[in-house]
Amino acid sequence: MQALSPSKLLSRFGAAFMAIALDVGGMAVLLYQILRCLVPPRLDGMETWRNLYKVGVKSAPIVVVTAMLTGAIMVIQSGALVAQFDAFGLLGWGAAFATLREVGPIMIGLMFSGRVGANNTAELGTMKVTDQIDALRALAIDPITYLLVPRFIAIVLMMFLLTIVGDLTALVGGAYTGQVLLGVSPSLFASSVIEYITLEDLFNGLFKAFTFGIAIAVVSSHYGMTTSGGAVGVGRSVNNSVVASAVLIFVLDYFITSILH
Amino acid sequence: MIEFIDIHKAFGSKQVLRGVSLEVKKGEIMFIIGSSGAGKSVLVKHLVGLIRPDAGRVILDGVEVTNLTEEEYYPIRKRCAMVFQNSTLFDSMTLLDNVALPIRKHFKLSLAEARSEAKAKLALVNMEQHAERYPADFGDGMRKKVAIARALTLNPDFVIFDEPTTGIDPISANIVDRLIRDLSDRLGVTSIVVSHDLRSIFGVADRVAMLYKGQLVLDGPPSLYRETDNAIVQQFINGRPQGPMEV
Ligand SMILES: Nc1ncnc2c1ncn2[C@@H]1O[C@H](COP(=O)(O)OP(=O)(O)OP(=O)(O)O)[C@@H](O)[C@H]1O
Ligand SMILES: [Mg+2]
Repeated sequence: MQALSPSKLLSRFGAAFMAIALDVGGMAVLLYQILRCLVPPRLDGMETWRNLYKVGVKSAPIVVVTAMLTGAIMVIQSGALVAQFDAFGLLGWGAAFATLREVGPIMIGLMFSGRVGANNTAELGTMKVTDQIDALRALAIDPITYLLVPRFIAIVLMMFLLTIVGDLTALVGGAYTGQVLLGVSPSLFASSVIEYITLEDLFNGLFKAFTFGIAIAVVSSHYGMTTSGGAVGVGRSVNNSVVASAVLIFVLDYFITSILH
Repeated sequence: MIEFIDIHKAFGSKQVLRGVSLEVKKGEIMFIIGSSGAGKSVLVKHLVGLIRPDAGRVILDGVEVTNLTEEEYYPIRKRCAMVFQNSTLFDSMTLLDNVALPIRKHFKLSLAEARSEAKAKLALVNMEQHAERYPADFGDGMRKKVAIARALTLNPDFVIFDEPTTGIDPISANIVDRLIRDLSDRLGVTSIVVSHDLRSIFGVADRVAMLYKGQLVLDGPPSLYRETDNAIVQQFINGRPQGPMEV
């Protein structure tokens, strides 16, 4: 690669910064437009059902599998330590604390951005480059209320619900692994969870899941709706969407964790 | 009545329209011709607010629509339908649901009622036997016919057809031409048709305008296009590769 002159480097940096600022601004406006349609609700019922089904039912299996393994991994990781200090009564607490507050929402958020967010961007992006979005507008149908609000609701709601499902599955996976690997009985695991885990731990994680859902919905819709340049453009948008969602998930996680601690 | 007054439009440094003025009277069928990239699609999209002019005004039945917000534009679009140049059917839906969508959204009908209305509209273009299939199963021509049916669902006063007969077999093209004529004769619908199809132009047009280099070079009845001694128009109508026209 050729060395860049300082001025060129600066101008590239400036251009990248402008592009990011444009995207962030676009997402903020989009979020506002979507929220404005929620009270009073203005959205298409049929599209909402279709998306709830598509997002929820089709994501459930992958969430269950991921969560099961996550719970198991938590137990394996803490297993050596637990055995060393003979702290078998803390195993459930350790696994559940990490899963509910942190690992669960993050894993499911990343799964969701890859599974649902990418799909959303690709679908909207294709509609954009083939003029289907303009066709909706020409039929006097608002793409926000018809396309975006249903997708927003489906993604946010399903991310939240599937995190609850995922949390439960992860605990089951953890309990099972604890018994097989360390001989910790499920009842000891459960009592450890019940004794030490507070509702706050659960809600903390669910609040994260809620914000991650909003992030995935807005980011994926934004990149979809601003797609241009045919099939290549759709690919680029999907790429941007997945990367931006993942980054935003970690940024949000950082801030929520540091504020709520 | 549709009025374009001195419309200018550029994309970046590319000046596409340089002062186009055009009037289309109620019930009239106005054809717009011109070479590829002349800006025909850009011009007609101004009417439904999908493109806004850099300068100039768009007036619809005496009401200026140039600077309406997107929200204010929705009532206008119910009266003013557009058939796009490329198929813009929604590929997640059957042909029937594509046509039923605007009916369901705007007439507050149940899905079943909207579907039976939609079936009638599909019959206008002889597509009712394919109602339950998806757009991906069809070629451009058949999709375009469905898009025409969909555009007519809201009983518009104005319809824009962007190359409605391009890529369609001659018989279907005739059906589409007759449909456009019928809309005008029976319902007083005002149409703007972008077309290269000489058979349609000399068959159904009331008036033809030719766009060249961002401006209108000729505007008048079809017969004028045979008689004119404008060299550019002559070259275009006769499809001669050599001549004064820069393609
Ligand atoms: N959204 C847009 N952004 C940038 N440039 C555009 C846009 N829409 C159209 N153009 C440009 O404007 C010019 C005119 O395009 P337009 O689609 O109106 O041509 P046309 O007369 O309809 O031609 P055709 O017969 O090929 O459909 C083209 O050069 C095109 O590249
Ligand atoms: Mg065109």
